[in-house]
Amino acid sequence: MAFKSAQTALDLLILTVVQRRGPLHGYGIALAIEELSEDALRVEEGSLYPALHRMEETGWISAEWKLTENNRRARIYRVTRAGKKQLEAETVRWTNYSAGVSRILRLA
Amino acid sequence: MSWFSRLKNALTPKQLDEELADEMRDHLERRAEGLTQRGASPEEARHSALRRFGNATLLREQSREVRLWSTLESVLQDIRHAWRGMRKSPVFAITAVLSLSLAIGANTAIFSIVDAAMLRPLPVPQPDRLFTLASPGLTQPGEETEHEVESFSYPLYQQLGAAAGTTARLAVFSYPNRVEARVGGAGSVLETLERQFVSGDAFEIAGVTPALGRLFSRADDRIPGGHPQAVLSHDYWYRRFAADPAILGRVLQIERKSYTVIGVTREGFFGIEPGKFIDVWVPSMMYDKAAFTNPGWGWFRILGRLNRTTSRGQLLDRLQPVFHDFQEVRVKMFATMPPAIVKQVRELKLRIHPGAAGASSFRKTFERPLWIVLGVAVGILLIACANVASLLLARSTARSAEMAMRISLGAGRGRLARQLLTESLLLSLLAGGAGWLLARWTAPALVGLLSKQSDPVRFALALDSRVLLFCAAVSTLAAVGFGMLPAWQAAGVNPILTLKGSSGQASRLRLGRFFVGLQVACAFCLVMAGAAFLFSLRNLFAVDTGFNPEGVTVLTINTDAETRKKVEQRQLMDQLRHRMAAMPGVEGTALANYAIFEGSSWSDQVILPGKPPSEREELFYAVSSGYFSTLRTPFLSGRDFSPGDESATPQPAIVNRAFARKYFSDETPLGREFERTEGNKRVRYTIAGVVSNTHYGTLRVGAQPIVYVPVAGESSFSLYVRSPLSTGSVARLAEREAQAVGSGMRVREIRPLQTLVGNTILREKLLAGIGGVFAVLGLLLAAIGLFGLLNYSVARRTKEIGIRAALGARKGEIVMLVARDLFALVGAGLIAGLAGSLAVMNVFQSMLFGVRPADPLVVGTAAGIFLATALLAGVWPARRAAGVDPMVALRHE
Repeated sequence: MAFKSAQTALDLLILTVVQRRGPLHGYGIALAIEELSEDALRVEEGSLYPALHRMEETGWISAEWKLTENNRRARIYRVTRAGKKQLEAETVRWTNYSAGVSRILRLA
Repeated sequence: MSWFSRLKNALTPKQLDEELADEMRDHLERRAEGLTQRGASPEEARHSALRRFGNATLLREQSREVRLWSTLESVLQDIRHAWRGMRKSPVFAITAVLSLSLAIGANTAIFSIVDAAMLRPLPVPQPDRLFTLASPGLTQPGEETEHEVESFSYPLYQQLGAAAGTTARLAVFSYPNRVEARVGGAGSVLETLERQFVSGDAFEIAGVTPALGRLFSRADDRIPGGHPQAVLSHDYWYRRFAADPAILGRVLQIERKSYTVIGVTREGFFGIEPGKFIDVWVPSMMYDKAAFTNPGWGWFRILGRLNRTTSRGQLLDRLQPVFHDFQEVRVKMFATMPPAIVKQVRELKLRIHPGAAGASSFRKTFERPLWIVLGVAVGILLIACANVASLLLARSTARSAEMAMRISLGAGRGRLARQLLTESLLLSLLAGGAGWLLARWTAPALVGLLSKQSDPVRFALALDSRVLLFCAAVSTLAAVGFGMLPAWQAAGVNPILTLKGSSGQASRLRLGRFFVGLQVACAFCLVMAGAAFLFSLRNLFAVDTGFNPEGVTVLTINTDAETRKKVEQRQLMDQLRHRMAAMPGVEGTALANYAIFEGSSWSDQVILPGKPPSEREELFYAVSSGYFSTLRTPFLSGRDFSPGDESATPQPAIVNRAFARKYFSDETPLGREFERTEGNKRVRYTIAGVVSNTHYGTLRVGAQPIVYVPVAGESSFSLYVRSPLSTGSVARLAEREAQAVGSGMRVREIRPLQTLVGNTILREKLLAGIGGVFAVLGLLLAAIGLFGLLNYSVARRTKEIGIRAALGARKGEIVMLVARDLFALVGAGLIAGLAGSLAVMNVFQSMLFGVRPADPLVVGTAAGIFLATALLAGVWPARRAAGVDPMVALRHE
């Protein structure tokens, strides 16, 4: 099973975060990833955006300009139905994959 | 949804850019805020936020690629850029668009006619299974012109149909003719309709369905004279009856027969003959009854449809034996047939042609001229392309600094070439649009040029998708043609050299020379062709016809009774003639059974006493007295016809000099006798007079032998009137007098004799007209090209010329400098053009008259005109060069 690993991992992470924590803006997503992975996944924060935009084009997430706290405008992302399906499929696949990898690591 | 947002973003890239920037700025602000809350200074926080964010520009570019259709965006960018560029130099843009649109318009207009007349399949299902039949025409001794006969007789048609069996079905389509018809009662107006006889299965075989009512079936075409039914064309029904469904059951009076309308063909079907729109179809059985049993009476074309499994070759194998047997029988029937003709008849081979594009008399006449004209139009297109290419080159010189700058900033050569090509495409797109409009306007006018009053030509000239596609293809090809080289050249500038002030101008000039050379060559070909066609036409005009057509009006007169005796009919004709002769202002009148130069002719073998019938059939023409004086054809000896001649035996005949020389050599022919056969009888003639030679039906062939015989009574005849009055006045007089004679006598057609003669050289007029106009156009474009290049070359050499002037060169020497340049440019193109045009001239040969392929007069005239134009184009640049002030020129650097 071949993953375009880094990209897929980031996609999976973003989808999970947006799905669990509800509609979020880009900075919020960045904070959540930072917090969840306890700085284990150190990416340039900016690279989040091309990924977000790509997923938006694919139709997994949708975005909308909204007013947030203190009357600031922010682009808020939410997971679409297609995104949810993708997340479920990817989660299963990822779990299988990582289980496989760890089995190999244990047995080898 | 996704492609839509990408399309939207490509159309409004600015909005997207702002959005992306906003989103990222928001992120940075929030991060900075977070950091300041943890105690960092605002300055520090901002820096740190930026650091953590990464390369914002790069990331924004990545997002941009995702979110918009980048190819479209850059194309739009190119188009905007090109548009701005054109707005900035309007003179260039207008010149380019104008010359291109003329060329594209000419090509599109002519193509639309070529397409309608020759290429486009008939609007019926599976046109590729249709075919037409033909056989090579018999040639009289002394005539070697290859022609084809498409006429078939009814007995032969029946035999061929039986031989084809189930492999193919054959339909009768008579030659369309214009007839007078009345819709409704006796009082209603006579109108002229295009009528065609068809066999009962013709519509089914062609694949035509009704729009209203029903079309003919086999049952509607069984008994000779027994099916007075008519089918109207959609076009006629729409035009004349405003698509009134109550037309079914109405009665049409044509040639004293009443036809009941049973149906209307579906929209778009005009018949099987491009160039003609049929108004009404009637069953073939309504044709003259004698035609159904006469094997020598060819009166229709055969259009057939093959079944799915048969090829044209296989069908021909089945038909040829039947055709051959038929000809054998014919040879036996005509005892007097000369041996040369017998041999030809025995060897006749049936031909089978693809019938997808129908069968057309127009096509026969104009096929070659139209291809030639299209070729000439392509020549104009080449010149226009070369012209625009050199304009583009000159412009890219002015823009080389801009190009160099863009290359220095990292633009790729391909990207720049694409940008420049976009400009070319935009130019040709505008030109294509203008050309399209031009074509819409000129194509019908062009068809009008080829039309005669008695035989109007009409095409389904819908400038439809086929023609539009052609127009677009020509425009695009032109854009690539003129844009590619200059674009590549311009995009290949060396930025360092250019920014330093000198550039690869030498190579650009080389390319410019190539384009100007190309223009000169093409333009010279056009001038040669135009000159050849104009000289041909002049030669045709200069032909001495042997009569003076000026001031002669030819009226076609109909009377309505068929049952009247010939003698009574002749009396009616004479009544009208005498009434007209008595009118003030009428100088001469004459009767004939039809007019000369209108395509009708009668020829027969001449039998001298004690000799076999002549090898050649000679022309016979039935006229009244006064014919020769009215046409101003001099009498050489003998007398004119006199009353009663038509019923005398032997009949007096007047022959022309060519006839006298051929059959009586040097002896005096007056009083000599000869005969011709008519059915089983022989008609005897005695020669009463000899007149000088005249042309009969064409200007191209001169001095044919002609026998003039006294005209008998006819229900339709021609009246010649010589008068200084206008054609309209003569027509009004004749109409009044015809009515006064009564018996339904009426004027059907009015044509000046000059028009009749002119109609026989329509092809030549077309070629000379279009050839001449295009030659001038080509010359003009080439002159502009020459002027532009010379001017540019003088500008580039200002410094050199300045130095020469400073060193004491005289003005004459400097002018010579430019002149040398000019002659080098023109010389090479002229030689190429001469070679090309001589090669092409051989193709034109059959269209020319009195002009040889390498006629010194034509070549000389063309070269003279060309050189004069070239000199004119060089005057201004030469003056400019001579006027260079060395002080100014040298200080400039």
